[in-house]
Amino acid sequence: MARVDELAAPTLGGQELFRPYGTALRRLWSVARRNKLGALGFVLVLVILLVAALSPVIQRYDENHQFQRPNPEFDPGANPLDIARNPNLGSPFILDRWRAPSWEHWLGTDQYGRDIYARIVVGARLAVIIGFGASLISVLSGTITGLISGYFGGRVDFFLQRVVDGVQAFPPLVLLLLLVSVLEEPNLALTVVALGFLGWAYSTRVMRSVVLSVAASTFVEAARACGAGPLRIMLRHVLPNVLATMVVIFSISIGIYILAEAGLSFLGLGPADQTTWGKMVNTGRNQLDSHPWEALFAGLAITLAVLAFNLAGDALRDELDPRLRGRT
Amino acid sequence: MTAYIVRRLLMNLVVLWVVVSVVFVTTNLLPGDFALRQVATNLELQDYSQALREARRILGLDKPLWQRYGEFMGGLLTLDLGRSYETHRSTWAELGERLPSTLELGAMILLFTFLISIPVGIISAIRQNTWLDFLLRGFAIFNVATPAFVIAVLLTLLVLKLDLFRIDVVGRPHFWTDPEAALKLYIIPGLAGGLTSGAGIMRLLRSQMLEVMRNDYVRTAFAKGLREGTVWLRHALKNAMLPVLTVMGFSVAGIVSGQIILENMFNIDGVGRFLYTRLILRDLPPFQGTVVIIAFVVVTVNLLVDIAYAWLDPRIRYAE
Repeated sequence: MARVDELAAPTLGGQELFRPYGTALRRLWSVARRNKLGALGFVLVLVILLVAALSPVIQRYDENHQFQRPNPEFDPGANPLDIARNPNLGSPFILDRWRAPSWEHWLGTDQYGRDIYARIVVGARLAVIIGFGASLISVLSGTITGLISGYFGGRVDFFLQRVVDGVQAFPPLVLLLLLVSVLEEPNLALTVVALGFLGWAYSTRVMRSVVLSVAASTFVEAARACGAGPLRIMLRHVLPNVLATMVVIFSISIGIYILAEAGLSFLGLGPADQTTWGKMVNTGRNQLDSHPWEALFAGLAITLAVLAFNLAGDALRDELDPRLRGRT
Repeated sequence: MTAYIVRRLLMNLVVLWVVVSVVFVTTNLLPGDFALRQVATNLELQDYSQALREARRILGLDKPLWQRYGEFMGGLLTLDLGRSYETHRSTWAELGERLPSTLELGAMILLFTFLISIPVGIISAIRQNTWLDFLLRGFAIFNVATPAFVIAVLLTLLVLKLDLFRIDVVGRPHFWTDPEAALKLYIIPGLAGGLTSGAGIMRLLRSQMLEVMRNDYVRTAFAKGLREGTVWLRHALKNAMLPVLTVMGFSVAGIVSGQIILENMFNIDGVGRFLYTRLILRDLPPFQGTVVIIAFVVVTVNLLVDIAYAWLDPRIRYAE
């Protein structure tokens, strides 16, 4: 069904009578007014993206710097025998760890004396890279196989769909663990690719069903009658009509990948050389009783980021392709 | 219907073959193997490469990949899932030992999933757009966006700070040996898992209820003068539960496969933790065997859900 803003505006003497929505900006505004939660999600996403992009500017301290403070027990006159008995006497500085939030350390420090605020900010960058990267990989690969499966049908379709079934029969975390174990120390790129592959099965399935309906339309038949080859039909006629679905899958999966990476990092199998929120929850929970700050703030960051991407993704889906409601 | 089921069963066989092949190839691509670990931890060895070759020969890791694949597949046909490299016990025996803990945790998770998500979904729909609805929807959205382990951390913090009870993570109690200790151990991971797996169900059930309530027969039921509760539960809920059932099917399959993260967190010796430790140790046969069994459970549950679907909704007929 055509929407009001897609119809040609009625004119009188060359002048438009009224403009239902007008510019893209005005349309955005009207959508935001209708869907307040979605608007909130978009604002939060914008904040997260800004934090991620500006992290070197706003993180205040290096995320790996270990803060120290003067050692109250330090005794310059202590002889080696005393130091052997009590090692604390020998060093003028000790790690400034497990500090509660203060002006100096907005969110406190962790067990190695590192600034938690700086680590949360850097973690935002990681979450954005992982969420967007994995989502992009899964949508692009899923679109390729979905196009092939949906357009050609028959045996190709049957085989591809059984592979998809197979991937989906794995417990997701087990498959993820298996994939990231391929390297001795999983790095960022491997994590992103593994997560993307995990989403491949889902996006293939959705893209296939959309391609199936588009491929059955008369304009595809017309193109075929004109002598267009399969590649041309897929790229020029089918692909433009499934772009909206691609955007929807991309945006609603970002939160899921952030969650999955947090779980992976929590188990100690996330990107080895990076600061991630999941890792912070894991190290923080060891001193939960006495120093809960690290686990609390990192957990909160995960929730907030996933929430933002979910709300924004849902809003985008409702605008672009409401048919996908309930499938995600 | 019979033809449909037979066709689905055949398809499931193909799917299982895909799973078996994928798990076999990827596990053998992993860096390091069990023999290497065995040899590396033995400090008394003189000639490491000789010992490594010997260890690989004993474990059968020196055979070419295709031959091991053939033996693995042959074993599967006779339901032989191999033996652990570490304990030399059969995968079945090892799994049987872990299943009770996983089922205990799984039952706990399912219980909380039902107890929380069904009432929340129903109330949220009946009181649409009231403050209660907004509160419950916010609760659901929070649970969708929060990993189970973060909820578990928060709950643990609560229990510690209020000094509610002590959690025994060493003794590994069961409900039939020490019910009180078992309840204390399983309640936090159960609640955390139940909240996350129930979060999607709350939202789905709410939207389904709203959808169903627009139907004419619901209006008729009201017009007949039936009590409100009867209409919601007998007329609306029954039909709103159909899609919820599919999602539930998925979560049941997930629960049987064990909760790797929650089991690791609370030192529960279940299937998920077993999978994790086998993978880390490169103890391949039990890992591969367990994954195959889980995949079998998943595809079977999916098939059962589809059949239950047709049974619950007579309008659904599968193409013969």
